[in-house]
Amino acid sequence: MAQKILLIEDDPTTADFVANGLAEEGFVVDRANNGRDGLFLGTDGGYSCIVLDRMLPGLDGMAVLAALRGAGITTPVIILSALGSPEDRIKGLNSGSDDYLVKPFAFAELLARIRLVIRRGISVAMPETVLRCEDLEMDLLARRVQRGGRVIDLQPREFRLLEFLLRHVDQVVTRTILLEGVWDYHFDPGTNVIDVHLSRLRKKIDDGEDKPLLHTVRGAGYRIGAQP
Amino acid sequence: MISRSTTFRFAALVFFLQVVAAAILLFGVGALLRSQSRTDAVDLAEASRADLLTAHARGGTSALAEEITARMNRPAERSAVLFLADSQGRALAGNLSRVPLGLAESRSYTLMHLIPIGQEAPEAMFVRLTALPGGGRLVTGTVVESERQLFAQMERATLVAVGLSILFAGFAAFASTRLILNRLQATIKTLDRVREGDLARRVPGDGTSDAFALLADQVNRTLDRVEALNAQLKLATDALAHDLKSPLTRLQFALDNLSHIVDEPGAQSAVDQAISESGRLLAIVDTSLSITRAEAGLGKESFRPVDLSGLLANLVDIYAPMIEDDGRAIVLDAPSTVTMPVHRQLIEQAVGNLVDNAIKYGAGAITVTLFVRDDGAAIQVTDEGPGIPEQQRAKALARFSRLDQARRGGGAGLGLSLVQAVAHLHGGSLELNECSPGLGATLILASPNKAS
Repeated sequence: MAQKILLIEDDPTTADFVANGLAEEGFVVDRANNGRDGLFLGTDGGYSCIVLDRMLPGLDGMAVLAALRGAGITTPVIILSALGSPEDRIKGLNSGSDDYLVKPFAFAELLARIRLVIRRGISVAMPETVLRCEDLEMDLLARRVQRGGRVIDLQPREFRLLEFLLRHVDQVVTRTILLEGVWDYHFDPGTNVIDVHLSRLRKKIDDGEDKPLLHTVRGAGYRIGAQP
Repeated sequence: MISRSTTFRFAALVFFLQVVAAAILLFGVGALLRSQSRTDAVDLAEASRADLLTAHARGGTSALAEEITARMNRPAERSAVLFLADSQGRALAGNLSRVPLGLAESRSYTLMHLIPIGQEAPEAMFVRLTALPGGGRLVTGTVVESERQLFAQMERATLVAVGLSILFAGFAAFASTRLILNRLQATIKTLDRVREGDLARRVPGDGTSDAFALLADQVNRTLDRVEALNAQLKLATDALAHDLKSPLTRLQFALDNLSHIVDEPGAQSAVDQAISESGRLLAIVDTSLSITRAEAGLGKESFRPVDLSGLLANLVDIYAPMIEDDGRAIVLDAPSTVTMPVHRQLIEQAVGNLVDNAIKYGAGAITVTLFVRDDGAAIQVTDEGPGIPEQQRAKALARFSRLDQARRGGGAGLGLSLVQAVAHLHGGSLELNECSPGLGATLILASPNKAS
């Protein structure tokens, strides 16, 4: 069964883009163009994820979120906002949302984050000790990485980066997701600093292998997995 | 400088008036008593003289001498000075041994120090010489020695009292100055807190309606206005952010869509360029808003205790691979933990900008140093490049200025302005120094409580 997404967004252009994009990715999208309708649909439940614009006519996005959480709805919520200042972001995250995306954003960024919060909701955090992707194996206790029997020597930061990727196998992670997830860093350096990290990691993992695992997703970010 | 301070002037005035009042009181009373004592002494002597002259007129010199001797034996005349000499100056009666030298006949009394018969030391007395018909000489007067001694004692007591009153006046001046300061303290504290970002704080009322309450009221009204303006600014910047970002979002979506549709390689690269330019436009809008908000002091409510050395280690970790790929190095020099309340994201962005500048315009190794200072902390980013000539440094900090038009680092010349705004938000400053060779940019953060 297809996963259902609720999109609460008053700007029709943005809503169209997002809804069409998500439909192309195989999601079923319900739309609301004001807070009251959004809250009505949201409390009905059955959604894998709610994408909520912060500034809405009628009922403000933060009020919708508060009402949802107050009603015991635990559906993951991603807030979209034109307010990009860090305090707005913190306020948004503190009030019960699962992620916060500042406009304008690339659709790929939103898609990656939707998949991340849905996955987070399903997989009850198991205390994993070994992470795997094909023949790549990471032992978190021994802090050892090997691929097909070949031991890979990683620097601490490369280890953390690979760990994050391996926790999100087959999911697209963007540069900003990596900065937030690996370094808890909320400012996009805007240069190719992250790309250098990835290319170093790729060299260590994929050089000399027939099947590359670390893929660059054009215009979006990176993905680790068997599929090219 | 201090003499021009109003509280000092006030204290000095209080002091001066206190001392003058004490002096007038003490010395004035002394002078009054002294003049009264003289009048009394003269009146007493005049009364005796009148009686004696009457006796002389009635019975001549011998009757006068008898009268004097009789009076000398009366206890009531203890302080009286009486003396009669004949025309040759020989003593006939009285308690002086001879006519005092230098005493001429006069209508007034003269203060002299003479030894009366039966005394050993000279005593102070008011005396008058009267020439009698027939050549005799009569001296009348009053001894005031005990009063003189009393006055001397009083004078000493007065000096002590004036000394004490100077002390008290000093204390009064100090106390009144403190009183003024205490009354102003509430206003000063409030302004301090407001400057630190607590815009809602007001001077508490104290139920009076004096000048200080009036001042507090005016300060409060001004703070109301400042808060309203600040709220307006926040609204305006938020609205601007919203109005600019919504079309930018649509633009980015459209370009995103386009990049999926076009297949022609030439068109694709044009779309990529458009995407990257729209990203740059967004970055400029974002940074401008951040600068405006930080300079307006918005964001202080987001200050949290942050381990600065951990933050810098993280930042160096992120930038290191790219810098190493350039054949350069980045080094962190920081004490193990320095925790102070800061705006974390803005500090990350500010230091990121400094490192970015060192990458783009500097050369050689980049060193990130964290200093602990008495008043907070300082983060210095140095490189070994050409630096910025001293006369251009002010320009380097100006918004939308790039020193060298050939430098196309991608920024809009906002990098250092943002660092400066972040420094101001943290009560600090940004300093650019020569670090021979290279440039040292120091971000100074003032801590309300000392860094630990």
